[in-house]
Amino acid sequence: MTLADGFGEHNLEDVVSVLVRLVEAAGAAIIFVGAVIAFARFLLVAFRREGMDPFARLRLDLGRFLVLGLEFQLAADILRTAVAPNFTELAQLATVAAIRTALNFFLGLEIKEETELIRADKAAAAATPAAAPPGTSAKPP
Amino acid sequence: MIAAVSRDAALIVTAGGLIVAAVTLARTRQARLALALLLDFFTAAALLHLAAPPSWPALGAAALTIAIRQLASRALTAARDARHR
Repeated sequence: MTLADGFGEHNLEDVVSVLVRLVEAAGAAIIFVGAVIAFARFLLVAFRREGMDPFARLRLDLGRFLVLGLEFQLAADILRTAVAPNFTELAQLATVAAIRTALNFFLGLEIKEETELIRADKAAAAATPAAAPPGTSAKPP
Repeated sequence: MIAAVSRDAALIVTAGGLIVAAVTLARTRQARLALALLLDFFTAAALLHLAAPPSWPALGAAALTIAIRQLASRALTAARDARHR
């Protein structure tokens, strides 16, 4: 009888299972809290009618919450592979991990694009009013 | 336990997304923006569905939701870029 058969593996399975649940619950909580915060802020912005800019920023914030939650869920997936599951469980785990990794990549890409768009909009907004007054005031009659 | 809670949370997030999209559409008259917001909330709901140890149909549904979301999101971005040019 080896150590893994008698004592070690069962204890390890219990510890990993608790850890997986904790990390997974943390990821789900982050996603849910992010969605609730986004919901409240979207409604506030929609009823205040502040234009289009705040919507882009709020979508960005929601995307960041989703990415953070995904990172936790991926960590839980990696922890799950610490104890050897059967082939069906392993296939499901691989599928979930693949979906999460792909989504993480695409969300990251979207966040980058949105950030650049907001920066470009800001730069354009700053350049337009600033360019006119100095040009007109500097010229002598 | 986690499965039931995350399924309820996913339902709440889905309902929230529908409300936000409807309010946004009513206030701004921007269908594209409302659709983008709806898809953001649906993605959050799909991720919450995947939080519990999932079954094959749940996995397929989540993958399909996320694929549709990505497709629509790409199309929206392309349309916006074409309008900006």
